[in-house]
Amino acid sequence: MRLPEFQLHHPTNLEDLKDLTRKLQASGDCFDFIAGGTDVLPNYKNRLNPKTQVISLSKVQGLDRISPTCLGAMARVRDLVDHEDLARVFPGLVEAASLVASPILRNLATVGGNLLLDTRCYYFNQSEFWRASKGYCLKADGDACLVVPQKEICYATYSGDLAPLFLVLDAEFELHGPKGIRKVPAREFYQFDGIRRFVKNPDEILAFIHIPESAQNLRTGYRKLRARDTIEYPVMGVAMGLMTKKGKIEQLEIALTGSEAVPLWYGDLGFGGEPVGEDTAEGIQKALLERVKTYKNVPFPPGYRRSMAGEFVKELFLKLA
Amino acid sequence: MSHPHEIPNQDHGLIGKRIPLIDAFRKAAGQAIYTDDIQLPGQLVGKILRSPHPHAKILSIDTSRAESIPGVHAVVTGKEATNHFGVLPVSQDETALAVDKVLFIGDNVAAVAAESEEIALKALGAIQVEYEPLQAFLKMEDSLEQVPEELRLHPKTVDGTNIHKQVEQEFGDFDEAYEKALWKKRQTFRFIGVTHAFTEPMCTIAHFDADERLTLWSATQVPHYLHRALAKVMEMPMHKIRVIRPTVGGGFGGKSDPFPHEMVAALLSRKCRRPVKILFDREEVFYSNHGRHPSKIEVALAIDANKKISGLHVDALIDGGAWGSFGVVTTYYNGVLANGPYRLPNFRYRGRRVYSNKPPCGAMRGHGAVNTRYAYEILLDEAAHDLGIDPAAFRRDNVLPPNTKTINELRITTSGIGECIDRAVEASGWKEKYGKLPFGHGIGIAGGFYISGSALPIHWDKIPQSTVHLKVDLDGGVTIHSLAAEIGQGSDTMLAQIVADVLGLPIHFCRVFSEDTDTAPIDLGSYSSRVTFMAGNAARKAAENLRHLLIQAAADLTGYPAEVFVLRNERVVNCTMPEIQVPYLEAVRRAMKDCGALQTSGCYQAPPMGGKFKGAAAGLSPTYSFQAFVVELSVDLQTGKPKLHDVWAAHDCGKALNPLAVEGQIEGSIHMGLGQVLCEEFAYNKGNVLNPNFLDYRTLSPMEMPRVHPILVETCDPEGPFGAKECGEGPLLPILPAVSNALFDAIGVRFYELPITADRIWRALKRKKKEEAKSLV
Repeated sequence: MRLPEFQLHHPTNLEDLKDLTRKLQASGDCFDFIAGGTDVLPNYKNRLNPKTQVISLSKVQGLDRISPTCLGAMARVRDLVDHEDLARVFPGLVEAASLVASPILRNLATVGGNLLLDTRCYYFNQSEFWRASKGYCLKADGDACLVVPQKEICYATYSGDLAPLFLVLDAEFELHGPKGIRKVPAREFYQFDGIRRFVKNPDEILAFIHIPESAQNLRTGYRKLRARDTIEYPVMGVAMGLMTKKGKIEQLEIALTGSEAVPLWYGDLGFGGEPVGEDTAEGIQKALLERVKTYKNVPFPPGYRRSMAGEFVKELFLKLA
Repeated sequence: MSHPHEIPNQDHGLIGKRIPLIDAFRKAAGQAIYTDDIQLPGQLVGKILRSPHPHAKILSIDTSRAESIPGVHAVVTGKEATNHFGVLPVSQDETALAVDKVLFIGDNVAAVAAESEEIALKALGAIQVEYEPLQAFLKMEDSLEQVPEELRLHPKTVDGTNIHKQVEQEFGDFDEAYEKALWKKRQTFRFIGVTHAFTEPMCTIAHFDADERLTLWSATQVPHYLHRALAKVMEMPMHKIRVIRPTVGGGFGGKSDPFPHEMVAALLSRKCRRPVKILFDREEVFYSNHGRHPSKIEVALAIDANKKISGLHVDALIDGGAWGSFGVVTTYYNGVLANGPYRLPNFRYRGRRVYSNKPPCGAMRGHGAVNTRYAYEILLDEAAHDLGIDPAAFRRDNVLPPNTKTINELRITTSGIGECIDRAVEASGWKEKYGKLPFGHGIGIAGGFYISGSALPIHWDKIPQSTVHLKVDLDGGVTIHSLAAEIGQGSDTMLAQIVADVLGLPIHFCRVFSEDTDTAPIDLGSYSSRVTFMAGNAARKAAENLRHLLIQAAADLTGYPAEVFVLRNERVVNCTMPEIQVPYLEAVRRAMKDCGALQTSGCYQAPPMGGKFKGAAAGLSPTYSFQAFVVELSVDLQTGKPKLHDVWAAHDCGKALNPLAVEGQIEGSIHMGLGQVLCEEFAYNKGNVLNPNFLDYRTLSPMEMPRVHPILVETCDPEGPFGAKECGEGPLLPILPAVSNALFDAIGVRFYELPITADRIWRALKRKKKEEAKSLV
């Protein structure tokens, strides 16, 4: 399977990147950014919305820093796994990073790329021939969703491991574009549906992820459902941040991946101030299950994936409490 | 008394030694040449246009626009080669490209040869095909109905249906056994299809050259069958065709048919007189499939008052997809191969293979035996459990004795099934564990047996099934010519090991040429676990003939009688006076005196055997391998996820010529079998393969592999080369039911449908909990 033809650009700093973006926009060219390439390139091979111009971020300086308060979007996922400070402060984040794909893919994949991962669906992640024989879907070349038949919303599944952690940590995403720099809270960044996905404009890059120092008060955890123990996207992933005081919930943050078209932040589900214990854990489980939706477009039946969200949230709560 | 030189060269020889495969270093260094590594001058890229419909008439194909694209050198359609082919003479139902109808999404419609892949793809897009869609047959049951002729997938079917093959057999009186049984059960089992998932995708290069000779390089397990099929489709005499098998990156049965793309490459090359390469995408490999048949198998088992198996009834409905392939054999094997490794006095079988509008199914490791074996071993376990007998002891008490005949007249010679069970039980600590592990943790056992090559060849030519030629020239190196296809299983190493052992040489003296139909004598190929037994025997005979020449030379040089000489350590040694020796190279030179380079030949033909009834040939083998595996596992009760801990895998391989290779085959078989039982699914959505890639078609990852403890049981088969039997397929059979039986021991649930994924286990646990709660009320 071959890549479609495209022109690859390699800016080396953010200023050049801005100029290049402006130039391509002025000439009316459509473009994509590419970081590690582990998501974009397979999709290009399948002819899933490829562009004729591709801007690589791999040579842009200064985007790969890692600290407990700021992560460069070009930091490799593998570098998160190996980062001792991060492991001490946010073990949940490091755990999530360690479960991304496989060691070889983690060497290539970037934090930003994982956060911006395209959604996945049996009817989308297929070759041009396959999609033509099935009838194209809403997300690429077609006009109707093949999962939930209608013409408005794409129900593909978001499958990044890191996003729910940044939702839990109340991170801010720093976006750089031709019109300047802006910061968007992670909890406002992702926008339902599987096509729109987030508020980032096509000409902006995700440059940095800022984590508030207050997030360091949370104990974090992540639990991932996957069919095998390597090279798997989460088909349900639960992230949690918890702070307790005198046996009661001081702060609880819950977020999910692998359920709907975007990662979802659920906050404390109304359990702030509740005592820590089995009853509360079951209450949280029940409350979450009432809100989780899953669709039949990735491995494992939707009902099972949903139930596992409940199991994991309960387990994490009891573990972190 | 045999002559001294007939004594196997055991002490100094190579038999039974752990030898790395002779091509391993080449492969590890990236120096092995696979078909896709070959680039000939002027080579073009071939691409196939595939059907977007599961079942449709082709009304017209217009290739004119494609032909006019610069860089396009040839376009072919089905009407240009209408001769049918297929691996079995009884199922010649394939054509190079669809002629009047397409039979599945991905079926071959037209093909182009162009200067680049981009141009070829553009040309495919320019071919206009007009289809008239027909009702698609996607469920097996639908194919049982009688339908008008235009809805039949092939002209030759059973009674106007889409049944490809129907088999009925009865030996003894099953009904009576069932009637009188102490324990009996009838159960339906469902199996989804699985595929081989070999690493190297299909690749072929055809070159119809200036001498009007066709050379075809292809990743194939069966160069000889490919040779025949090419001759038929291309309407060329076989001597004008040369088939070359470069290094093959795995086959497992998935490269054991002659394939349409091989015919297509040849047609394209003949049309444009340039070499044409067709390399498949992984998705195309899924459309080529030929994997294990999806099956619905009803099994009824009867156990008599003496707690002996008294009757088995198997009714197998198997989904063949669009073509026949090996399907007639598969249909028989689903029943016939249930006649071991246990004594079975009454057996009834009905097998039906249907055509459907899906990629074809065919032979896959453990061909035809795997699914019925699963069903049988689950019911045996249930019987033992219900009767309060240890399932290992129950199996042990029912084994087939050696040197016997099954009720369907399979000739059993050596059998190590009893020892397999004993040693697996002993090594696993079975007696301390079975029924005694905590809830969620379990241990299970299952047995199996498999053919060591089919005794009757597919083609009824009166020629040997394997022939090996040897050549030795002045340098002393022994060139081994064979057409047994090295596909990663180690057959080249096996040939070299046997020849070197017989000649008393280090293995590096041997070089194996098993690639080329121009130079190699016919061997039927690498399928049905036949190569070690058949090609190994042929190699041994060829080497013994060569040994005879060298001994005669030594006798001539020394004046001692030939009978006293043996070959060992690069010398021809007088075993009565060991100081009398002739160096190997000197013996070679002497033997060459009047004839130049030495050449010898050896061959193998299975002895006559089997009954006279219809279908008696199916399942006949000169010998059988036997297995008993014990599995220990646990289940995550929260998620249902199973975790395999250990497999004790006892396998009767006759004689482990190379224990390293045998263990490799056992481990590989376990990996593949675990994939089928735990996670692999060839899934469809209305005729579309839902997961035609390795991300969504889940083979077992290294993370899920248990510790494997191979136990080699050696029964030294008197007809096998140095006593060897097969080891490439049999070890796949018991792993599936052993896992399932261990799951029962762990959580008390039986699984009648594969794969047993975490969600299914989780649901079963939930159901069980509910039922238990109900029964308490």
